[in-house]
Amino acid sequence: MADLKTLEHATLKVPYEILNKKFRVTQKVIDREATNVKSYLSELDQLLKTTPSSDNLNSIIEKLVTFKKKVEESITDETEAAQVCKDRLSHLQEYAELNSLSAEKWRKQRLDRMLVEYFLRAGYYDSAIELGKSSDIEHLTNMELFITSRKVEESLSAKNTALCVAWCQDNKSKLKRMKSNLEFKIRQQEYIELVKEKKILEAVKHARNFLSSTDPDKLTDIKQCMALLAYSPDTELEPYRSLFSEDRWKDLTKQFRAENFKLYQLNMNSVFSVTMQCGLSALKTRHCYVDNEKNDSCPVCKSPMSALAEKLPFAHCSHSRLICRLSGEPLNEHNPPMVLPNGHVYGYNALSVMAAEHGGKVECIKTKERYKLEDAEKVYVM
Amino acid sequence: MANCNAVQKEIDKVLSKFAVMKEESAKEIDDVINSFAELKKKIENGGDLQEGEKLFLACNSITRNVLSRISNNHKDLHNQVSKVGKAIDRNFTSDFEAIITDPSFECRNDLLNKSIAEHLIREGRIDITDILARESGMLFTDENHELFLKLHCILEELKNHHLELAIEWAESCKNSFQNTNSHLEFTLHKLQFIKLVKKKQLTECLSYATKHLSKFAVEHTSEFQTLIGCLMYVNKGLENSPYSHLLDAQLWRDAEILLLKEACYLNGLSVESPLSVVINAGCRALPPLLDIKNIMHQRKCNDVWSNKDELPVEIELPNENRYHSIFACPILKQQTSEANPPLRLICGHVISRDALLKLATVNKVKCPYCPVEQQTSEAREICF
Repeated sequence: MADLKTLEHATLKVPYEILNKKFRVTQKVIDREATNVKSYLSELDQLLKTTPSSDNLNSIIEKLVTFKKKVEESITDETEAAQVCKDRLSHLQEYAELNSLSAEKWRKQRLDRMLVEYFLRAGYYDSAIELGKSSDIEHLTNMELFITSRKVEESLSAKNTALCVAWCQDNKSKLKRMKSNLEFKIRQQEYIELVKEKKILEAVKHARNFLSSTDPDKLTDIKQCMALLAYSPDTELEPYRSLFSEDRWKDLTKQFRAENFKLYQLNMNSVFSVTMQCGLSALKTRHCYVDNEKNDSCPVCKSPMSALAEKLPFAHCSHSRLICRLSGEPLNEHNPPMVLPNGHVYGYNALSVMAAEHGGKVECIKTKERYKLEDAEKVYVM
Repeated sequence: MANCNAVQKEIDKVLSKFAVMKEESAKEIDDVINSFAELKKKIENGGDLQEGEKLFLACNSITRNVLSRISNNHKDLHNQVSKVGKAIDRNFTSDFEAIITDPSFECRNDLLNKSIAEHLIREGRIDITDILARESGMLFTDENHELFLKLHCILEELKNHHLELAIEWAESCKNSFQNTNSHLEFTLHKLQFIKLVKKKQLTECLSYATKHLSKFAVEHTSEFQTLIGCLMYVNKGLENSPYSHLLDAQLWRDAEILLLKEACYLNGLSVESPLSVVINAGCRALPPLLDIKNIMHQRKCNDVWSNKDELPVEIELPNENRYHSIFACPILKQQTSEANPPLRLICGHVISRDALLKLATVNKVKCPYCPVEQQTSEAREICF
């Protein structure tokens, strides 16, 4: 079960982060609504020196009913979020209790889950959605997270900052803890765009509103930004040339992506590709790259896997594990290895079957040389 | 499993606390609403105004308390919520990037996509392959596309116990099968025959046996005899006969697997999807690799691994995933290579050439496993 521990962190952590966010939203709703009711009560306290009218009481009751409704709704929301965590956990727990047939099905679903994540990261959203649907694993993948980020990324590449700013606001406290400068960068870009359009007054106003940070680390950036006013967008002078550059939008998209992953503690590489690298290494032998030693069933022997595995380390093997080239069965005390006079080794079982069919003769499948079975000698492998 | 259970414990607590919170807060607000409603009734009925004012102030302060309490109670739940996150972090590994040895791997999208497309085609998910082709801008020209499409139709039919397509296909490949001692055709006819037996149609059974099974009588004598023998129970039904094993559903599943195997074998393909094999191996390999990497990191001996062209530990894989013979010299504990091939000593024991040269004194060497002594030149190179 060690594979659950290593592979499934994101399966649980992402819905947890969503739960945590929902919790904070709920807290805000409760606080806001409570303050609402309280301030109305104080208002009545001060205004009325006499007994409140039944109208006053009606509106108090109305406010309390709304409060109750809001509290209930938000707690239901966070309960649902917690339930998502629990459902995913139950799916993981199933793995331990399965028989071999359903465990195979579970593993197949796991592969599909990995593929969905890989597709999402690569930006193949439709493939991801379709695969998720057809394997019925949508509830087990973090599709929603990627779809949200897709919208932000798309808007950024269309040079629209609104969604990204909203996203920054949405995750403000976490981003602050991560010491993210994404929002500053976005505001900076908005400013640069205003300068590009020669809307100088608006640009200055924008800078006053959003760039007047007290953070000493940002001072250089701020200075450069303000100096930008003196240059035209076709300047060759650095750093102003790169500030005007269109590539900054691409960098922003990249930064957003990285911070979004970081927010949910996602690795920069997909689970799929990391697992694949380990798997290829575990299967990779030196034989896989020698022409006449390839095996049709071995994944690493064939393209495209052989090319993928090229730079990966080989499997480590400190104990011999021998396989009969004739039957594919392991060579051991029940099927002892036999060497033919030409030096090639085969299993006794396969050789004796061959000898029985061909009048006591055996043929080396590598060299096509023929020998009597008695000429094969035992080999002892420790 | 312990790691899942630890997280579950915390989530269950959160869920139950949410439920309690919801119920209690609803009740408390209801109480406050009720007391205001009562007050309202009193005032409307012309009750004592001074008492009304007093009551209002009392209700007022109770309400404030209730509101603050609800807000604080909810705030207190945060502790429990964050325990879930901590439990997840403690029991699951968040970062596995340490084991990446080829940083360019993820960039080889073309090869990754191709592997995935081949896998999807194998599974008969052509629609998803098409979407992937569109989104990745790649063309997946797979010569096996047609083959798997056809195989999937046949297997689907076979799952529903319809044999016609399968038999037709097996017959069309007859010539290729003759060299491979295939049992497929016989297996399929056998299942068709059993189907007829189940329908209790004796004459049809007999004519089917004459037409399709008789030619297998020599090659599969005992099974053929069993099939003919079961005809005695056609009317009684096979369920309570010595032939009840012929009704085993496993026979059908075996036939599916056999068909897939033969088809792949004929076309020089692996039976299992290469991608599934690699990923399953990866799931086994990842935990031990991560463990060893962490230990190396702690002991500050990182370079031990990075210098080597091999994984630092042996990964246990199931036997069916061993595709190549590997001989590791029992003396040097390392794999042999072209430069250092395995040698068979005259006693039959095998060691690598480097080991032999290390053990040799002048021209003689004593086998490390038995008392036999020999000339070094007598050792013979062999090939596994």
